[in-house]
Amino acid sequence: MKALCWNGVRDLRTETVEDPKILNPKDAVVRVTMSSVCGSDLHLINGFIPSMQAGDILGHEFIGEVVEVGHDVRDLAVGDRVVVISVIGCGECGYCQRQLWSLCDNSNPNALMQEKIFQYPTAGIFGYSHLFGGYAGSHAEYIRVPFADYGAFKIPEEIRDEQAVFVSDGVPTGYMAAEMAGVKPGDIVAVWGAGGVGQMAIQSAYLMGAERVIAIDRLDYRLAAAATHGKAEVINFESADVLETLKEATGGRGPDCCIDAVGMEANSTGLEHYYDRTKQFLKMETDRPAVLRQAIAACRKGGTVSVVGVYAGVADKIPMGLFLNKNLTMRGGQMHGQRYARLLLELIRDGRLTPEFLLTHRVSLENGAAAYRMFNERNDGCLRAVFTP
Amino acid sequence: MSSKHASNVSPSERIISFTIGGAMLYRSFKTLHRRPVLALAAGYLVYRSIAGYCPISRWMGKKDTHNPAINIKSYLTINRPRDEVYRYWRRLRNLPTFMKHLERVEERTDTHSHWAAKLPGMTGAIEWDAEIVEDQPGYFIGWRALPGSIIENAGKVEFSDAPDGASTEIQAVFSYHPPAGSVGTGIARLLNPLLKTMIEGEIWNFKRIMEAGEIPTTAGQPNGRRNGKTKVI
Repeated sequence: MKALCWNGVRDLRTETVEDPKILNPKDAVVRVTMSSVCGSDLHLINGFIPSMQAGDILGHEFIGEVVEVGHDVRDLAVGDRVVVISVIGCGECGYCQRQLWSLCDNSNPNALMQEKIFQYPTAGIFGYSHLFGGYAGSHAEYIRVPFADYGAFKIPEEIRDEQAVFVSDGVPTGYMAAEMAGVKPGDIVAVWGAGGVGQMAIQSAYLMGAERVIAIDRLDYRLAAAATHGKAEVINFESADVLETLKEATGGRGPDCCIDAVGMEANSTGLEHYYDRTKQFLKMETDRPAVLRQAIAACRKGGTVSVVGVYAGVADKIPMGLFLNKNLTMRGGQMHGQRYARLLLELIRDGRLTPEFLLTHRVSLENGAAAYRMFNERNDGCLRAVFTP
Repeated sequence: MSSKHASNVSPSERIISFTIGGAMLYRSFKTLHRRPVLALAAGYLVYRSIAGYCPISRWMGKKDTHNPAINIKSYLTINRPRDEVYRYWRRLRNLPTFMKHLERVEERTDTHSHWAAKLPGMTGAIEWDAEIVEDQPGYFIGWRALPGSIIENAGKVEFSDAPDGASTEIQAVFSYHPPAGSVGTGIARLLNPLLKTMIEGEIWNFKRIMEAGEIPTTAGQPNGRRNGKTKVI
């Protein structure tokens, strides 16, 4: 089959590889019908997540059709149209049973490797480095899905492919961001990053009763999408002072909830940006936390900072004095998609969440490298490019 | 000197040192003026064999002839009731389902068993007999290889209720005692990190078998061309 493989930093190639097969009794094999690029792939492509190996198949946000099931698969059948959650959960460990699927104890074959860095290992993720299990990703014609009964959800007939595909990762990440931020009726919510996840966080915050949502980005086309599809107010951080504007917009209090949907490759302005770029280049910090710093500074006293943008290791100059003295709450995490999938499919069916506008480009696997280049450089109004193998 | 230091040359090494050193000394006697280094080395071998103490070995970190045991400890919480977790382990023939280095364990009586294993760095299987030395049903299992085994080894697992009332905390210790002498130490040094990683992984797999019913793997999945390029940091 054809698959899009990582061959080195900013070096992707479409290769012919073996077809996947069932390796464990709870596996299924899915024929991929749609597989989306995700902002978090850019950290792998740009070389900021360790433990990638040439030949690794990328991709973790996908839907498809079940073509084969292992003998311990109970709920799925050949022919089912399914959306598969990006993080893999065994369904049986203490974490999965408490609905904390991305913390699964049993789905990461390289748990010992990860334990050395994180102290306790987390779940495996499709196509997301060997630290996260080394699973082959979904930018391919077929993919093997471990613990398929727990990770693959049947898509109701009335939901279209371009709505369902983002339930794999983008929608639950945005939803969980708003949930972790503790959004309540009447709250003002600020969302940094108007990519796929940020857009979904904006819609989710309104679902949870937010009075106003403010989106912060530097790309006008993404801010325009946030205004159109999310009813968000917008700030372009390249042309406005974010802290001052947020203060002005909130009667001098600051937002109640601040969501970081950017993560480790944040862009910022002025000296701060060059400081972080230099330190990151010299491996003195792995993550550029410009958004996290700003979110902590912007948040109202007693407010909540919710982090879903991906960080990998260590970041410097986090304003802990502000965090403590302003009595902030900070939460973060990879999404527990299995916990939200059914709810999100219902919300989409009812038209209360509308993720389909994220799909701006349909591409073939052969044009994978070019699609990622466009996505990385934010050309051509790209929100998400989706492969249709 | 031997009175100030504990002996760090084992009896077998002393015999070998004396034999080789003596022979070298005898042969180099006539050519002493031409090959002084050889004679000096021979003299040193004879010295360490008689004194039972070797300054060079000590400088390399060997303080006595006793090789310390390798202890590998693991702590894990398993989301299954304590009795079930205990019972699975107590049925020793289950061990190879999660300890891949074990080829088989045969339970011959309630306390005696026969084990066959493959260890990293060794070709072929090694086999030994073991006995359960302590058994507190539901709480504790301790076993050890019977004397005469190639690799002296022992292990124990403690089972206790986790605070959530539903899962079980286990504390497992595996001990390996390499054969005495420098060869044994050499093997131990070589094996230690490999063994540690292997056993730690296998105890994790115990949890996986107990909870998920299978061990996660990517062996056999497709990948593109491996040109050796990796991103470490």
